[in-house]
Amino acid sequence: MKQISLYADRNSFVHDLDPISKLYYILFSILVPVILPSISVTLICSFLSIILLLLAKVFKKALPVFLLVFIVLITVVIIQGLFRPGNETIFLKIGPAVFYKEGLLYALKVTLRVTDIVGAFLILVLTTKPSDLVESLVRRGLSPRIGYVVISVFQIIPEMTSTMSTIMDAQRARGLETEGNLITRIKAFIPLLGPVVLGSLVNTKERAMALEVRGFNAQGNKTFLNEEKTSVLSKPIQLGLLLIVVMAFVWRLLT
Amino acid sequence: MTKIIADNLKYKYPLSDKLALDNISFKVEKGEFIGIIGANKAGKSTLCQALTGLVPHFYKGAYGGKVFVDGLEVKEHSIAEISLKAGIVFQNPFTQMTGSKMTVYEEIAFGLENLGIAREEMQKQIDHAMELMDIASLKERNPFDLSGGQMQRLAIASIIAMNPEIIVLDEPTSQLDPEGSEEVFLAVQLLSRQGVTVIMAEHKMEKVAKYCDRILLLYNGEIIDFDTPGKIFSRDDLKQYGVVPPIFTSVCRELGVKKSGTDEYPVTLEEARAALGRKVK
Amino acid sequence: MQKQSMWSLKFSTAALVLIPTAVGINYIGKLFAGLLKLPLWLDSIGTVLASILAGPIIGALAGAVNNVIYGLTVDPISFVYGITSVAIGLAVGILCYKGWLSSWSKAALAGLIVGLVATIVSTPINIGFWGGQTGNVWGDALYAIVLAKTDSVWLASFLDEIVVDVPDKLLVVLISFAIYRGLPGSVSQMYNNSNKFESLD
Ligand SMILES: Nc1ncnc2c1ncn2[C@@H]1O[C@H](COP(=O)(O)OP(=O)(O)OP(=O)(O)O)[C@@H](O)[C@H]1O
Ligand SMILES: [Mg+2]
Repeated sequence: MKQISLYADRNSFVHDLDPISKLYYILFSILVPVILPSISVTLICSFLSIILLLLAKVFKKALPVFLLVFIVLITVVIIQGLFRPGNETIFLKIGPAVFYKEGLLYALKVTLRVTDIVGAFLILVLTTKPSDLVESLVRRGLSPRIGYVVISVFQIIPEMTSTMSTIMDAQRARGLETEGNLITRIKAFIPLLGPVVLGSLVNTKERAMALEVRGFNAQGNKTFLNEEKTSVLSKPIQLGLLLIVVMAFVWRLLT
Repeated sequence: MTKIIADNLKYKYPLSDKLALDNISFKVEKGEFIGIIGANKAGKSTLCQALTGLVPHFYKGAYGGKVFVDGLEVKEHSIAEISLKAGIVFQNPFTQMTGSKMTVYEEIAFGLENLGIAREEMQKQIDHAMELMDIASLKERNPFDLSGGQMQRLAIASIIAMNPEIIVLDEPTSQLDPEGSEEVFLAVQLLSRQGVTVIMAEHKMEKVAKYCDRILLLYNGEIIDFDTPGKIFSRDDLKQYGVVPPIFTSVCRELGVKKSGTDEYPVTLEEARAALGRKVK
Repeated sequence: MQKQSMWSLKFSTAALVLIPTAVGINYIGKLFAGLLKLPLWLDSIGTVLASILAGPIIGALAGAVNNVIYGLTVDPISFVYGITSVAIGLAVGILCYKGWLSSWSKAALAGLIVGLVATIVSTPINIGFWGGQTGNVWGDALYAIVLAKTDSVWLASFLDEIVVDVPDKLLVVLISFAIYRGLPGSVSQMYNNSNKFESLD
């Protein structure tokens, strides 16, 4: 079975942490740089995420995602460096292009902020099984029906992708043009997508019935087969993160 | 003990102007194995769903008469409540997998978690269901990695784990290869021997003849006949209802060979062999 | 038959199961667009279909779940754009309820509106997150030109987004409409919750 999740199974204390604490960490990583918007604070937060990624032994898996983000960030650096309103101090001249200090500093800020947030999310995503995350949320009051919806996507997508390649082959065998000019290619889109959509919609009926006869809409509290993963560190970590956010806020008000 | 009572059941799907079921009345006793046969669109699936509350609760629509499963009136109870009395297995094993569980074991637990069964009890029931369906060795496998026959047995196990007195199967092997079909029929037979009341809609008449105690013949949403396989397949007018009897019955009818001491034609290989053997001697 | 309010939170199970399917359709749409080398994303067909079939709330949920899943599997940035997906789901659901998806010309207009809604919601996110850019080559080129000429980040960012979003959403809505019209009645009927019990006794 192909898995579409980014989760990487490793042995680390970050993996052993409960998903909720990791959600607290994301909140912390977003809020602290917003409350204290200086470059050094954002830099510290970004570094913290990267260190945690290293400790979780998942930094290698994080790199491609960072790379994807950095490609966009390069254009941010170029465009903001060249054109940002308020650009005054010349920093660098390359031929006819003039980069300004204000724009570049702003681009640096954007880069750090994005690194910080992406890093925090990656810690959650790379070290937590999606089903564990959703189950934790359901235990804390998320509707189990919504929880089901989120989790089932992970298996439904690979199922649909395999249907998709079957249909692609079948339609090509019937002589559907999938190459050529833009119009030809756009025209090919519906005969390709249509059958996958129809098939998957028809399936929703049987799946919905199969769920209902297995108590999907049962009243009363549900139970869980697996015991909840908890760590002695959870509470102190969550409180600590909250405390830092509050302190940052107080600091901001006082200074 | 009577497990199912249908009393003048009528049903019409929403936006449809024709009754999908009309004037359906019958009773089923504990432990019986009942076959439902009939042409395409005869109403077999609709009847199966009426026994498990999907008709009318899932679709809504127009409903008349009463159905009781294990004493519970279907119309007055939710699908979840009825699922503790009567479970249902569908044709397509894929769509019956919840898609939210990573292992066979967890997949079976899904219904029990929803019903709020305590953990120890849950584990006991899952183990029992896996054993019955002979899938204990697949416990840690991903449901979607199984063969069709294995997956369908998992679907049955997921229902059995909820401990219903009645299990309804709607053409459970129509999407399986012969090997997978055989696995499933044997598993269902085993259930029946455990005292579970089985209702199975099925097109494969040889199987119906082999396993069922009685057969309910449907046509156009109405019951034409409800009797033993021998009586049903010996009818002269089956063709008119879109039913082709088992090959053994057809052959014996051609040859004019009946079961000894009866007015019925043989319906299984064994019966045909016995009857023909007598004739040859 | 009395039409149920489009804001009802009482979803049928079929409507809920439609959500993962919609996310799958989004994903497949994006893949096919890539395979056919189309210059647009076409990654919200499932969200739009979910809205048409089951109303704005299911559409919005489909949009939200879509981006959460995308964030968990491919690109964490898409969490942030979940708001845009939700807006698309809501917009289509409302337009559909008001009868805008009844003919090709109306559907095209609805597509333009949805594109505009997506742009309006995305622009502040782009500014907050990237300083206003979108990462799309054509859009960003326009952004650079406008920024150089006018000094307005907001205008530049808005135009950057609109040149990409409006054609994309227009096509997405038209494709979804085409697929919807091709669905058999028993399928398109399945998700609305307005069917009622009647007694035959
Ligand atoms: N969801 C639905 N909405 C409206 N009509 C339906 C629906 N499902 C089935 N019907 C109609 O109800 C009648 C009985 O169909 P049903 O599926 O019960 O037949 P069946 O005996 O199971 O057929 P098959 O052998 O093809 O499975 C048919 O006329 C069918 O068209
Ligand atoms: Mg049927």
